[in-house]
Amino acid sequence: MESSGGTPSCELTDKAKKYDRQLRLWGDHGQVALESGHVCLINASASGTETLKSLVLPGLGSVTIIDDTKVTPQDVGNNFFVESESVGSARGEVTLRLLLELNPEVRGTFVEQPLTEILDNQPDFFTPFSCVVATCLPECTLLTLSKVLWEAKIPLVVVRTYGMIGYLRVQMEEHTVVESHPDNEMPDLRLDRPFPALQKYIDGLDLDSMDHREHSHVPYVVILYKVRQRWIQEHGAAPASYKERKAFAEMVREGMRQKESGSGDTFEENFEEGIKAVNTALLPTTIPSGVQSILNEASSITPSPTTKPFWIMARALHEFITSEGRGALPVRGTIPDMTADSEKYIKVQNLYREQAAQDADWVLRRVQEHSQQLGPRKVISSLESSVKTFCKNAHALRVIKGKSIAEEYKGSINLSEIGSHLENPDSELVWYVMLRAVDQFQSEFRAYPGYFQDQVETDIVRLKVCVNKLLADWGCGPIIKDDFIHEMCRYGAAEVHSVAAYMGGCAAQEVIKVVTGQYVPVNHTHIYSAITATSATFSL
Amino acid sequence: MATHIPGLLEEKLRAGITSSKVLVVGAGGIGCELLKDLVLAGFEDIEVIDLDTIDVSNLNRQFLFQKKHVGKSKAEVAKESALRFNPRASITAHHDSIIKSTYGMSFYQKFDLVMNALDNRSARNHVNRMCLAADIPLVESGTAGYLGQVTVIKKGVTECYECQPKPSQKTYPGCTIRNTPSEPIHCIVWAKHLFNQLFGEADPDEDVSPDAADPEQVGQAGQAALGDDKDHNTHTDGNVTRVSTRAWAKSHQYQAKKLFTKLFTEDIHYLLTMDKLWEKRRKPTPLLWDSLPSDGDDNDNNDGLIEDQRPWSVERCRQVFETAVNNLYNRVKSEEKEKEDTEDDVSLTWDKDDPDSMDFVTSCANIRAHIFNIPQKTRFDVKSMAGAIIPAIATTNAIIAGVIVLEAMKLLTEDARGYWWAAPSTPPRPKCTVCAPRPELTVKLDTRHTTIRTLDQKILRGSINMAAPDVEIMDGKGTIVISSEEGETECNMGKTLQELGIVDGTRLNCDDFLQSYTLVVNIVHCEKLDEGTEFTILGNSEEIKKAQEEEAEVAAEVEQNRKQKISNDGTKTADGGETSDEMVVAEVEDDDLVCLEDVEDEVEEQEVEEEEEEESRKRRSDDIVGGETQPLKKLKSGGGSSSSSGSGSGDSSDVIEEVMLD
Repeated sequence: MESSGGTPSCELTDKAKKYDRQLRLWGDHGQVALESGHVCLINASASGTETLKSLVLPGLGSVTIIDDTKVTPQDVGNNFFVESESVGSARGEVTLRLLLELNPEVRGTFVEQPLTEILDNQPDFFTPFSCVVATCLPECTLLTLSKVLWEAKIPLVVVRTYGMIGYLRVQMEEHTVVESHPDNEMPDLRLDRPFPALQKYIDGLDLDSMDHREHSHVPYVVILYKVRQRWIQEHGAAPASYKERKAFAEMVREGMRQKESGSGDTFEENFEEGIKAVNTALLPTTIPSGVQSILNEASSITPSPTTKPFWIMARALHEFITSEGRGALPVRGTIPDMTADSEKYIKVQNLYREQAAQDADWVLRRVQEHSQQLGPRKVISSLESSVKTFCKNAHALRVIKGKSIAEEYKGSINLSEIGSHLENPDSELVWYVMLRAVDQFQSEFRAYPGYFQDQVETDIVRLKVCVNKLLADWGCGPIIKDDFIHEMCRYGAAEVHSVAAYMGGCAAQEVIKVVTGQYVPVNHTHIYSAITATSATFSL
Repeated sequence: MATHIPGLLEEKLRAGITSSKVLVVGAGGIGCELLKDLVLAGFEDIEVIDLDTIDVSNLNRQFLFQKKHVGKSKAEVAKESALRFNPRASITAHHDSIIKSTYGMSFYQKFDLVMNALDNRSARNHVNRMCLAADIPLVESGTAGYLGQVTVIKKGVTECYECQPKPSQKTYPGCTIRNTPSEPIHCIVWAKHLFNQLFGEADPDEDVSPDAADPEQVGQAGQAALGDDKDHNTHTDGNVTRVSTRAWAKSHQYQAKKLFTKLFTEDIHYLLTMDKLWEKRRKPTPLLWDSLPSDGDDNDNNDGLIEDQRPWSVERCRQVFETAVNNLYNRVKSEEKEKEDTEDDVSLTWDKDDPDSMDFVTSCANIRAHIFNIPQKTRFDVKSMAGAIIPAIATTNAIIAGVIVLEAMKLLTEDARGYWWAAPSTPPRPKCTVCAPRPELTVKLDTRHTTIRTLDQKILRGSINMAAPDVEIMDGKGTIVISSEEGETECNMGKTLQELGIVDGTRLNCDDFLQSYTLVVNIVHCEKLDEGTEFTILGNSEEIKKAQEEEAEVAAEVEQNRKQKISNDGTKTADGGETSDEMVVAEVEDDDLVCLEDVEDEVEEQEVEEEEEEESRKRRSDDIVGGETQPLKKLKSGGGSSSSSGSGSGDSSDVIEEVMLD
């Protein structure tokens, strides 16, 4: 095809096309992180393969399956990634082959060695993984695995489908999130503490002397700033209450010019926008308390060569706030769309952008100084853009401090949380108790309750004992209804595929959050009941 | 194929699953997952329908498709792939649009259950009406990014899909698009129209030239401005038409410079002669091919942005425009060569995933935006807005499909006493404009200007989503103004409502034979509609909408106060806000008659997976009914409404479960 010298816009690579719909959620850098991720799946059960499927599709870097079982007819019945002719073959191998067909870019291996052997003999086996997903493990093995991964600081996601019940547990010692993608983000306009360049620009504009056209094309940030100044002159302080903001909006409206002389009609889109934005734009510039506590922690850390970049950046951010920033976070640098002529809008946008760049630059220099002081260490790749992103998201930083499964099971479980939830007899937490009880049942009787058809009646009695013992240990009364116990015994630990599909989707999404470092993962237990179609998250 | 662990699924349910016949509408993101889940749940007789073909951008989630399948029928390939994994199921695939008379009442009546896995509202409305008419239970679903929803709809028992008013899909009046754009989307819509005029199927409603009949200008068009230009003719209807935009372009071999000058210099000069338009507006600035601003081209590659996310200067836009026009013209030429014998024009279809199409629209929209002092958008943003792109990921679809099957199972055993019984959470809304016994709604428009074509195309089909309306005036004589029989009422199309005697207070009986849907439309004449609207559909929904708005206002205020105090733990939805308006807007899409993907255009929120926030824990409090026998029977379940967390929601009461992943 002829091209007459025009610059063609970027020809999208196949990969960019293929992943387009998800790039819109976690961006290019999120995709890069995902593609360098390596996830280990323990047991290619129904929930396990459903989880892996939703990781292979979006393009996770590589997967490893650990599974020492052979394909059974039951697998054929609830696992999409086995074929009936593969009964008797290694399950890890069969499922891996079919899963990799879904995305040629993903690499994979399988290990047929039993997990217990790996845990006993190869302590470093898990080091290369960015995340481990475990399914269908008996309690004692799970606890060993939990301990190993906790110490190695490798995130563990446990996913489980038990009849109509789903369980998801995320174990991470510490997880830091820069891009938490908060809902309802408030704009960062700094009307209460304009930076010099902004102030100078706005002060230089005179709305009254503008002609009609210009007047109706002033970005609302200018209008609100000016009205705010006037308000303070008249009232001594910025509008704070709902009532005051209403009155403020009225004041903005008064500034609107009449549509046609004498008609009394007023309509200027920029003013209308400003009135709508009054509530959010007038919020005082503050540091969210969660961010403040992260900053406090960062300032108390003595940086060492092993300190995570997140904490070095947080430390530099803290220093920024106490000096250059005069108590405020760096300017975010993005502003909402506003009705305005291009010239003014771009001017205002650039003012914010430049201030943001300047602030981020200050933080960057601090980060570099800290890094140098720490001596030679791995250079953070693309440090500049990392710091930029960090500053841009400073208002939404998140740190999750997790709890190990071993601690939850053998140490201190959050009793007040359990107690308060169990006051509601229909709380999803009941299913957590039931799952813990069937595990105890299994360790004691070497089979799950109801697994053998002819033992259901005995199992019901035995499971009840397990439940009550567990509750007694936690200082709770025997409050679980018999219905739940019967229900658990009916399941016989079988995985229902639809429930596994649901849980696999949930688990995969958590893994993606962990690997990309974006969005906030569950902390830490999530229970789904397909009976009532409800779910809940608990920190136990 | 499915495991039937004795006792886990009740005998009756197992039998119900095996013997039932189900329809899956849509083989996209949700559809693929759904087929997999249905097969493994033991469903043995499945039909799937989808008119779409496979695109590369489907492969990140529609796991039944692989690269080698690109371009093939989604329904066919989905069937083949699903059978490869599980050869025992019987799946029938239809590569077709569900909105067709082939799929009438008798088609629906074959099924015990219909499951929607659609991506657009008009097809959802259609299937909703068909299922109501045939009295077949429907499981409706949708996802958008991390959000998703599943709803069970049963005639007379639950609300139908259309009981609750949905935010209206914006259409833009011709004048705004052609004469006085004020937002980026106006320029993008114009650029898409231009694409169709030049390379695709020209639609008279999509004219891009200045409209001299702009009511604001009231007739005093500045013919003088381009009086010497033989390419322009001022018609009585006010359109400054080119012989046909396409023929004109062709006569100039699609020279980019010629096109540019016409569109961005001469037409703008012409618009400037319509002085009334610019009394209150900022005047547009015509551009010259040879002297365009090139500042703002950001060559700094350290900003962490991908190429698509960088803004272009106007000069860059011109270069991209030139290349795109050349490439597209060459494509037309080579296709014309291939089918030399036919007289018909080759027409390209605008496709957001085609680089030349995207380049064309991005550059044109941005040049026009610059002319009208409208903020420019990056190619990435334009793609979202023009292509109605909604983020889509495998995980949300997997979760939603799982829930659909679980709800389907509940529906199949509904009559079993107490067991999995889908309790209707919200009964049908008596004044619903679809499922009420005698539905009515009100349309406010200017009867002097609105044409029968607008009534037919934009109101009845476009907004109310009728498939083939017959319209008669309820004047005792039964005057037919629109007939679904082709050609019968063609002569009426250009006439105004007034000319046919449709005035303030006229009642129109609108009947859609295919959908078995009859609706009375009350006409309210109104000469002063809001700027930029041609008509307003009031329905009975208006009051509800108003109430909701008020509620939202109060909620926003409460939220405000809360934010100030707590301020830091709102990690809930992903990606919402800003773009959602634009997404709805962008449904100016042409090919969305059926089920392309899994995407939902409006999402009521309610999360399943959520972190930390105490108050969001409790979803529903269905009682566990007492008694001792067979345990599960006592666990009531099904269609009860999930209580909502936090603000928003509350409106989607028959939503059984909605998922939020993040």
